[in-house]
Amino acid sequence: MKRSQLRAEERRAYWLLVLPGVLIYWSVVAFPTVFSLVLSLTNYNGGRIFGGQGVSFVGLQHYVRMFRDQYFWISLKNNIYIMLVSLFGQIPLGFIFAYVIHRRLVKQGDFFQTMIYLPSVISTVVIGILWQSFFSPYGPFTELMQKFIPHWENELFYDPKKAILPVLFVILWMYTGTYLIIFLANLQKIDPSLIEAARIDGATEWQVLTKIIVPCLSGVIVTTAILAISGSLKSFDLVFAMTAGNPARRTSVLSLYMYDNAFRGAPNYPRANAISVFMVLLSLILIWIVQRTEARFGGRE
Amino acid sequence: MKTRNDFHPALRAFVYAVMILFTVMTIAPLAWLLISSFKTTTEFQLNRLGWPQNPTLFNYGSAWRLGKFGTLFLNSLFFTITSTAAIIVLSVSAGFAFAKLRSKATPILHGSFVIGILLTIQSIMVPLFLLVNAVGLYNTRIGVLIPYIGMGMPIGIYLCTEFIKGIPDSVVESARIDGAGYFRILSTIIWPMAKPVAITLAILNIAGVWNEFMLINILVSSESLRTLPVGILRFSSALSSDYGRQFAALVIGMLPMVIFYLIFRKQITAGVSAGAVKG
Repeated sequence: MKRSQLRAEERRAYWLLVLPGVLIYWSVVAFPTVFSLVLSLTNYNGGRIFGGQGVSFVGLQHYVRMFRDQYFWISLKNNIYIMLVSLFGQIPLGFIFAYVIHRRLVKQGDFFQTMIYLPSVISTVVIGILWQSFFSPYGPFTELMQKFIPHWENELFYDPKKAILPVLFVILWMYTGTYLIIFLANLQKIDPSLIEAARIDGATEWQVLTKIIVPCLSGVIVTTAILAISGSLKSFDLVFAMTAGNPARRTSVLSLYMYDNAFRGAPNYPRANAISVFMVLLSLILIWIVQRTEARFGGRE
Repeated sequence: MKTRNDFHPALRAFVYAVMILFTVMTIAPLAWLLISSFKTTTEFQLNRLGWPQNPTLFNYGSAWRLGKFGTLFLNSLFFTITSTAAIIVLSVSAGFAFAKLRSKATPILHGSFVIGILLTIQSIMVPLFLLVNAVGLYNTRIGVLIPYIGMGMPIGIYLCTEFIKGIPDSVVESARIDGAGYFRILSTIIWPMAKPVAITLAILNIAGVWNEFMLINILVSSESLRTLPVGILRFSSALSSDYGRQFAALVIGMLPMVIFYLIFRKQITAGVSAGAVKG
C-alpha cells in the first residue's frame, strides 16, 4: 500500500472513531451554551423557535434586569457561601482526616473512611428530604435540642437569615469524604521511605507534615480547590429537595434561580438564558483564575 | 515499627473526637431513618426517637405500590445501564483515536472535552431543556439518554485517552505491519487492555446516573419514564405528613447505592480519585 493510502485510511478511521462521541457531546454541551447566548439577547419566550411568531433581538436588557433583581444577588451570595464552605471546610477537614488515617494516627482508619465517604454515594434527593425531616420541627434535632433547652423553638427553616445554615451544614457533611479520598489516594503515592528517613533523622511529625507532605501535595491541593470552586456552582438537587429555595427564596442558588425563572410561575426564558450565560462565564473565569494561580505557585502531582 | 505518635495526646484526642463526630453524623440520621421506617405514621407522631413498639413492614409494601417503585427501578436501571455502556464504547473508541492516531484536529476536539470536565452542566439546564423541546425529544427516553451520554463523555474521554497513551505505540504499529485495520486493533488489542479504565468509568457513571435528578426532572413529565430520585421526591412531597411511608420510600431509594458502595468500596474510592483530575 502507498503511503498516501495509509494516511487516508488513518484519517478515515480517526473520524469514524471520534465523531459519534464528539457529536453527542457537542450537541449536549457546546450547542446549548451558544443557543442560550443567542436566546438571552432575544425576546423568545416559549413556543416554536423556527416559524411561529417572529423572535427579535432586544440587546442586553435581560441582563440589566437580572442584575437589578434582588433574588439574583441572594442566589449568588449563597453560591459564594457554598464555595467558602468547600474551600475552608471540606478541603481542610478532608486533608486532616486523610492525613491522620494515612499516618495511622487513629485506629480503624478504614472504617472512618467508609463512614465519612458514605453520604456522597446516596442520592442527593434522598439526603435532602432526610435532613429536611431531621431538622424540621417534628424531627429528632428538635427533640434533642429540647432535652438541653426546654421550650427551644425550632425556627431553622423559617428564619430567612439562618435558613441557609442547615443547607451549608449538609453540604459540608456530604462532600468532605470526597476530598478525604482524593487526598488519601495522593498521600499513598508519596514514597514512604522518604518519610521514614526523615523520622529516623529525628524530624517531628509536624516537620514531616509541613516539610514533606504539604509540598508533595501542593498540586493536589490546587486540584481540589478547582473542584471545590467549580463544584459550588453545581448545587441544585440538594437545595431543591431540602428547602426548594424557601423561606422567601432566601436559600436559592443560581441554578435554582434559573430553574424558577423557567419553570415556576410564568416562564421567563430570556432571563433563564441570561442566568445560564452568566453561570457559564463565571465558571470559565473561576477555572481560568485558579489555573493561572496554579501555573505560578502549584507543583505538578 | 517505630512509634509515630509524638503528636500531643490532646491533639490526638481532638482528632479522634472530630472523626467520631463525623461518623456519628453519618450513622445517626441513617439509623433514625431506618428505625422510623418500621413505625406507622401514628406511632411516629408519638414516638419520634425511640425503637418501634410494633415494628411493621406495612410502610414498605404500601410505599412500593403507591409510589410505583417497580417502574421507577426499571427506568433507573435502563438509563444507568444504557448510558454507561454507550459512554464506555464511545470513550474507548475516541480515546484510542486521540491517543494513537495522528490528526491536526486532536488538540481542539480533545481540548473541548477537557473543558467539559469542569463546566457545570447545571449552568445549561434550561437551554438544554429548550433544545430538547425544539428537536421534539421532550418526554422521550432518547431525549434523556443523549444528555446523559454527553454529560459522561468529558471524564470518559480524558481517562481513556490518558490510559491508552500508556499502551506502547509499538503494540499498535506491529499490528499495523501485520496488516490489521484500526477497528480490528481496537476490538482485539485495545479493548481487552482497556478493562481497568472501563471499570473506573462504569463505577463513576453508575453512581452519577443512578442518582441524577436535575435533568430527568425537567426533560420528562410522564410517570412511566420517571426514575427513582424524581419518583421519591414527588412521592414525599405528595405525602408530606405521612411519615411512615415517606421514610420507607427514602430507605428504598438509598439502599441500592449503599449496597453498591459497600460491595465496590475499593473500586469506587479508586474511581473517585482517578476521576478527580485537573482540567
